[in-house]
Amino acid sequence: MRRSDLGEFEEVVLLAVAVLSPGAYSVVIAEELEHETGQTVSTGAVHAALQRLETKGYLTSLLGEATAERGGRRKRLFTVTPLGGRVLSEVQAVRTRLWDRIVPHTVLTWK
Amino acid sequence: MQPPPPPRWLDRLLTWLVAPHLHEEVLGDLHERYHRRTQRLGYAAARRRYLREVLAYCRPSLIRRKPQVYPSPFFLNPDMLRNYFTVAWRTLTKSPTYSLVNLIGLALGMACSLLIGLWIYDELSYDRFLPHHEQIHFVRVNYNFRGGETQTAFATPGPLADVIDRDIPSVAATTILSWPSETLVRVGDKVAKETGQYASVGFFDVFELPAVQGNAKTALANLNQIVISQKMAATYFPEGQAVGKTLQLDNKRVFVVGAVLENLPANSTLQFDWLVNFTVEEKEWQSAWTYNAVMTYLRLRPDASPAQAETAMKGLFRRYATFDNKERVILQPITQLHLWGDYKNGVAVGGQIEYVRLFGSMALFILLIACINFMNLSTARSAMRTKEVGVRKVVGAGRLALMGQFLSESLLMSLLGAVVALGLVWLLLPPFNAIFDKRLALDLADPARWVGLLGLILLTGLLSGSYPALFLSGLRPVRILKSAGWRAGTGPAQFRRALVVFQFALSVFLIVGMLTVGQQMHYLRTKHLGLDRDNVAYVTLEGALNDYEKTEQLRQQLLQTTSVAMATTTAQLPLNIRNTSTDLHWPGQPQKQLVSVATMSVGNDFIKTMGIKLVAGRDFRTNSIADTSCYLVNEAAAKLMGIKEPVGREITFWFGKGPIIGLMKDFHLGSMHQAIQPLVVTFMPPNTQYLLIRPRAGQTPQALADLERLVKQANPNYPFAYHFLDEAYEDLYQREQQVSTLINYAGALAILISCLGLFGLATFTAEQRTKEIGVRKVLGASVASIVALLGGDFLRLVLVAILIASPLAWWAMHYWLADFAYKITIEWWVFALAGVLAVGIALLTVSFQSIRAAVANPVKSLRTE
Repeated sequence: MRRSDLGEFEEVVLLAVAVLSPGAYSVVIAEELEHETGQTVSTGAVHAALQRLETKGYLTSLLGEATAERGGRRKRLFTVTPLGGRVLSEVQAVRTRLWDRIVPHTVLTWK
Repeated sequence: MQPPPPPRWLDRLLTWLVAPHLHEEVLGDLHERYHRRTQRLGYAAARRRYLREVLAYCRPSLIRRKPQVYPSPFFLNPDMLRNYFTVAWRTLTKSPTYSLVNLIGLALGMACSLLIGLWIYDELSYDRFLPHHEQIHFVRVNYNFRGGETQTAFATPGPLADVIDRDIPSVAATTILSWPSETLVRVGDKVAKETGQYASVGFFDVFELPAVQGNAKTALANLNQIVISQKMAATYFPEGQAVGKTLQLDNKRVFVVGAVLENLPANSTLQFDWLVNFTVEEKEWQSAWTYNAVMTYLRLRPDASPAQAETAMKGLFRRYATFDNKERVILQPITQLHLWGDYKNGVAVGGQIEYVRLFGSMALFILLIACINFMNLSTARSAMRTKEVGVRKVVGAGRLALMGQFLSESLLMSLLGAVVALGLVWLLLPPFNAIFDKRLALDLADPARWVGLLGLILLTGLLSGSYPALFLSGLRPVRILKSAGWRAGTGPAQFRRALVVFQFALSVFLIVGMLTVGQQMHYLRTKHLGLDRDNVAYVTLEGALNDYEKTEQLRQQLLQTTSVAMATTTAQLPLNIRNTSTDLHWPGQPQKQLVSVATMSVGNDFIKTMGIKLVAGRDFRTNSIADTSCYLVNEAAAKLMGIKEPVGREITFWFGKGPIIGLMKDFHLGSMHQAIQPLVVTFMPPNTQYLLIRPRAGQTPQALADLERLVKQANPNYPFAYHFLDEAYEDLYQREQQVSTLINYAGALAILISCLGLFGLATFTAEQRTKEIGVRKVLGASVASIVALLGGDFLRLVLVAILIASPLAWWAMHYWLADFAYKITIEWWVFALAGVLAVGIALLTVSFQSIRAAVANPVKSLRTE
């Protein structure tokens, strides 16, 4: 796996899609991220990230139903592909391995 | 409560910015987020956040358009260009009649504008070949006689140039020139008349004309040397070296050739073949302030402005001349001398430039008519081509590509037209040059001509292709493909009508012009001048005949022949009396005010020979010395002096105090542009230039033979040449004659081209209405009613055109005629005739097609579907 394929924001967005599946689309993802990080996240940024992830093959999308508050426009719903799932777990594995190797003493100095 | 929607302009911005296939989700997301925020944070905060949200979408990945599956190539792609021309060529060859009608119209229009363009180019290039032409100025003098209008003299007093040279520091050089004269040149046994001038030494300081041989400046300074043109050198000294050879002028003085000049181009206002120092032939009156005897030119220093120089010259006349008529010296740049010859109130108001403008606008009009033909025919055919446009659009042609298509069609047409037009111009140049007295050539080596030609092709192509290109390319494919054509009276049909009206209005305008100018020319030719100019022949008195005794002897011999009825001598041709004098004084004249009168010296039998009516008094007595101090005046002169019964009254003129012995009825002294001026005729037989004879009725050939025999006998050293007075009269109206010829051709051309267009349109309408005509015939319509149906449409348009054109034509002709002191009045029947002509021609053109359509067998037209 090429680690550089997944940016930090992309990774978070991909995770959010997995969390919110099957009802994941840019508005709820942006709100979820806002909620989790406490920072404002614009749908535009999320949209662009979703687009990139889709071209990389980590996500698939289909058009969902329209609602009145969207002005009758449909939403694009995203799901994680198997490739996306594998990439996510690999990233997690790398992180866990690294976490595990941190000496407890070092962690304490941060606190 | 429903919150207000997010700002519309931001949505519009996004729609424009973001790729179309993303519109739905992007806008949907934005609105949903906005909606949620209004509920959570309130309207104001949501609205604030909205802008930032929108800005977050402005990123390349969202703006980039999705690539199309079938991309349409750029409309200027070489493949597309080739395709345009292929299709254009196919369209042209598919309907040869239309193409031919178009091509002929365009080619004629372009040939006409090319010819006139060449003419204008030549007219505007006058004197620009001179080195330092921007510094050279022609000197004129403004006079103000008796408090009347300011008059501008073309000639200046002889001493003026020297005074300017001495007193005005901003003037670098001056020169004076005599009027060009045809003088006999003799080298060995080669004898012919050549035009030359006498010029003062400064000539070559003002005009730096290049010499081929010798030093022109020193040659002119030398009193026994002559400067000749290359042309003259080639005729008289074909062996080569001309400098140092001798030639004799006027059978009198012998000159050594001092220099040979390059030939002057045709677009030079200076035209001479030889130049001799002014002092050689200087007459006493040429050095007087009271005579406008010479032409003066000057060259300013490079840094001086003409306005400054004029101001500096303000006091010259007061300082040096003994009289004061508020004379003012004015300068005219030499490059304007040819075009701006008419002065009014001391300011250049026009001249040849008016003809340049007139001809130019005519060329433009004719080109416009030709372009309109093209537009008309292509919009008419657009009904057929709308299907093509529709299909092209459906398979993905963009609007630009369609415009390229139509424009390339018209450009191809105008290119073809230009080729034909060039051929036509090449054929027509010799007769054109003959009519306009020009030496124009189709010089294709000159890049300026190419630029002009290319410009003409582009202009014509774009102009004529513009309407079809703009209109047809804008049609909506669905509308086109669903319904065939459109209702009459809308869109292109209306536009087409307007164009036909415009075309015919121009034609009617030109017909009225043709008729009026023709009438005025006829009037000029036939108006009785107050003297009898028909059947009068004249010879110039030169050589031995400069001797008065000999001339009188010759006159007597002529009178003794059976063929000559009368003979007289005059100083100028009585049709064109140009000398003026301010020497006239009479008892009771207002003090210190000079008047300008025309004047002429005559010999024996003047009144009788010229057929001038005497209101009172008598002619001069033959050879009477006493009568040399008597004067004849015309009615205008008597009126000027305010004398009721002038015969017997004493006036003072050139020869001192003397009585008026006769009062002449007014006769025309020059062209009819001017009113008849006051004239004083003096009796001075030795001072005459022309011998005029009036042959007996029916004996003209014999009289000419006698004249030749006797003149040759009296003056053997000169070649015999005679002219008729009416030829000289025609020469007065050369410009008017040219306009008349031009407007005749232009009018004919305009009508021809308009008819071509109308013919094409009629053909088209008849074709389009084939079915309708078939049905009408089946239901019992007569041929006549169908012809009337088809022709009526066009006839209405022509009638509207007549209504529009008539007042405009009346105004334009009125303006043209205002230039004549004696003129016709424009009569209503001219307009009626023009109208009838236009209607007749239009009917003729249309009826051919209408009748063909009307007599066709309806079975044929209705059978096929």
